Amino acid sequence: MEQDKLRTRVFIALWSAFVVLLVYLPLACVALASVSKGRYFAFPIRAFSWEWWEKTTDSIEISMIVENSLLVAAVVTVFSVVIAFFGALAFARYDWKGRKLYQKLILLPVFFPQPVLGLALLLAYSALGITTSWMTAVFAHMVWIVPVVTLVIAIKVYGFDPSLEEAAFDLGASRVEVMTNVTLPLLWPGIWSGALFAFLLSWGNFPLSLYTAGADSTVPKWLYAKMVAGYSPMVPALGTMATLAAAAVLLGGALLGAIVKKARAA
Amino acid sequence: MTDIKDKKPILQLVGVRKTFNDFAAVEKIDLDIFEGEFFTIVGPSGSGKTTMLRMLAGMEAPSEGNITLHGERINDVPANKRPTCLVFQSLALFPHMSVGQNIEFPLKIKGVDAATRKARALELMAIVRLPASYYGKNVMKCSGGERQRVALARALAYDPEVLFFDEPLSAIDYKLKKILEKELKDLHRETGKTFIYITHSLEEAMVMSDRIGVMRAGRLIQVGTPEEIYAAPVDRFVSEFVGEVNVIELKREGEGWRGVNLPGAFRAAPPKDAPQADSTFVVVRPEFMRFLNDGEEADNTLEGVVYNEYSLGSRIQYQVRVGDKVMLVELSRSNALPAAANRNVRLGWDVRDAISVKA
Repeated sequence: MEQDKLRTRVFIALWSAFVVLLVYLPLACVALASVSKGRYFAFPIRAFSWEWWEKTTDSIEISMIVENSLLVAAVVTVFSVVIAFFGALAFARYDWKGRKLYQKLILLPVFFPQPVLGLALLLAYSALGITTSWMTAVFAHMVWIVPVVTLVIAIKVYGFDPSLEEAAFDLGASRVEVMTNVTLPLLWPGIWSGALFAFLLSWGNFPLSLYTAGADSTVPKWLYAKMVAGYSPMVPALGTMATLAAAAVLLGGALLGAIVKKARAA
Repeated sequence: MTDIKDKKPILQLVGVRKTFNDFAAVEKIDLDIFEGEFFTIVGPSGSGKTTMLRMLAGMEAPSEGNITLHGERINDVPANKRPTCLVFQSLALFPHMSVGQNIEFPLKIKGVDAATRKARALELMAIVRLPASYYGKNVMKCSGGERQRVALARALAYDPEVLFFDEPLSAIDYKLKKILEKELKDLHRETGKTFIYITHSLEEAMVMSDRIGVMRAGRLIQVGTPEEIYAAPVDRFVSEFVGEVNVIELKREGEGWRGVNLPGAFRAAPPKDAPQADSTFVVVRPEFMRFLNDGEEADNTLEGVVYNEYSLGSRIQYQVRVGDKVMLVELSRSNALPAAANRNVRLGWDVRDAISVKA
């Protein structure tokens, strides 16, 4: 018995380690490539250097595309959260004709191949005579991200007792006061994780930006372009930075959420 | 409270009806509720009592008819503009607020300053018997009974003229329920406010109410004091709802009555509100059904076999098989039937102890 238990535990540990390695090894390779002194990646690395990181942070071009990416992600986050919040309330809370259909329609874009979605949007823009730029990319991102955020917030709405709102209303609160005193504070964790999702999904999105950002470049778009032509270790350097930034946003966001939760519980 | 008839009606329902699509949840209800009374609406689930309460509280609008408060029509007045407050079945305490913040919520909405709010909250906590140290406690860390008290204090903070209760004690264990029932009754007396309470438990209703309204399938079938409901149920449904009873179906035969599913002729009064009826249900409470000694007679007698006895605390209930029916007899423990099991017995009851209701 004891032996069996031990074996099981060893197996679980080995398997978990294997999966983690599988997931993170490529990222580790990119990180290594970015600190290699040579222009081309060769293993084992002969000399380490921060040279390419410095070049990346000094580059005006890169600061422009990072700004673009941040701008797109920020705008997408704001709009997605607002739309998804009311959408989630509508489909999780109220029973109305067509609710089931709305639920399916709003989730469908998640499963579309993104390049096809991007192409379709590009065709639509050109048919409407709209010049593509970071603003059209914002809309494209939202087509894909709003459904995801809606789902994330809806999970919280499903667990929300509507009688809390009725009680607040019954105790004299107006609709707006019910929203600000009861609904928003209680759905806040869902809204917060929805916002993190929106930001990170937009930040890392490549296919939709490729088709719909026009002349404006974003971080993933630039990485791709430089891979195709004009590779330098600035590509893995920026890639590593972008990944670290995403991880920082995620961890920082989760930490902030936990702090707020703890402060409230006290 | 004894003379409710002298009181002014506070809430009046005239021909109130509520339909959802084609389904009528509440049918044509006329009812006056008097100022300061404890009125309980009782009914099984699906009887329309919750819908009725939601209409009174302003969370549903009636499809037909009028609801008036102090004589003014309030059909379309939303819940936040009514001087009424509902204590929800789930209690609906705000989980992100402390005990104090929950109680202060209606005061905060009214724009009362923080110091006055806190003073009032502590006052209310004393009234509902919550220790002042609970003021800053996380409401989710309170026990079931404490949460009841927080919900009650919060409702009182709104200072409503009418308080509604939607089965707030249904999920509470028996002992605590008895305590809270008593506290609620005390609170009613101390505040002098009108309480409208709904429950599926007639026992709860009997203990606390000045008057009870019994609902069934969307209709209010009887309104009266607990004594009236107990002593003169209007039909079989109400009589069975009031407690375990013997119901004997009789058909008219010449001058007398003949049993249905029970052989023999019986003596009974016709139903009060239908003296010409061909059939009647005779309701005999188990405490009025008695075992007859040899030679002892009663207006009506039956023969049967005791097959079960239950202790009800101070009393004992006997189940007696008569033909294929089961009759219930209750005796005080001091009069217990010796060697009851499988004993052949004669049962009897008098006409004056039975209630005839419409079939």
